Amino acid sequence: MFNLSELQHDALVEIFNIGVGHAAKSMSEIVNEEVTMSVPSISFLNRADAAEMLGNKESSRVCGVSQHYEGAFKTEAILMFPEDKSLDIVRLMVGESVPLKELTEMEQEAMSEIGNIILNSCVGTLANIFAQELSGSLPQYHVGTSEEILSATGANASTVVLMLHIDFILEKHQIHGYVAFVLDLTALHDLQEQVDRYLAKVMGPA
Amino acid sequence: MNETKTVLVVDDSRVSRLMARQFILSKKPSWVVEEAATGEEAIEKVKTLSPVLILIDVNMPGMGGLAAAEQLRLACPTTHISLVTANVQNATRNRANELGIGFMEKPITETRVHALLGALD
Repeated sequence: MFNLSELQHDALVEIFNIGVGHAAKSMSEIVNEEVTMSVPSISFLNRADAAEMLGNKESSRVCGVSQHYEGAFKTEAILMFPEDKSLDIVRLMVGESVPLKELTEMEQEAMSEIGNIILNSCVGTLANIFAQELSGSLPQYHVGTSEEILSATGANASTVVLMLHIDFILEKHQIHGYVAFVLDLTALHDLQEQVDRYLAKVMGPA
Repeated sequence: MNETKTVLVVDDSRVSRLMARQFILSKKPSWVVEEAATGEEAIEKVKTLSPVLILIDVNMPGMGGLAAAEQLRLACPTTHISLVTANVQNATRNRANELGIGFMEKPITETRVHALLGALD
């Protein structure tokens, strides 16, 4: 099993916290209301447990936007919302003037763009903190249970993954969403190396 | 002034193009907003258009926004070109600087678009 030292764990949570702060600001600009984000929690889980943590139920379908990143480390970043709220979010984004028919037609594309903005805002902040570059794929849109979405993004059922789990809440509209980062063991080691470099830079060599 | 000028919005996201169009026309109702969904399409369009401003996304299918912006810079040396991107990484900002083009963070907001248009006056 992969382990982080307490210091590495703290640093990683703080770095993601800054990234999530930027993502919250972007989200807030998209929907024109305050967005509250939880302090991220990090867990080492397999895919099934990760899905359960995200509330995997047949009845609760979610729409997800994923992007694959490569560079300093590899990760699959996923943004998830309840499927029945996605039209509300798109409406908040484009405003009241767009007719419902047009809005429905552009729902998938608009959600992909929202995912693109939020995920890049978070990942871009991480890249800047690490003084590295991460290049992202185009956003992929998925609908299904959280288990189906995690498997569609390539997470192997038995592989241990780092789930960085962030809740965010749109206060006025009672919409809860999640951002998750899935990393395999190789990517975790690469990420750990970046954290060590960052710690050495900010604290000086041990 | 009701002078007609053209802005080219290059983005693979239709919703982003729609928002950019709304925000440009709310400040400059007499201007013309042309759209392209890829860098390749933008390069083709500037052969017949003379935009005063090109807003271009980075992460797009095909050649991508940075490679397209490089060619657009050569094709339209006096046009103000700005990246409009969710990619907030310093590496991307630095590349924009090297190309002599602007950088605007997504999401596209009315405030950001109006500030940019104001700077063109």
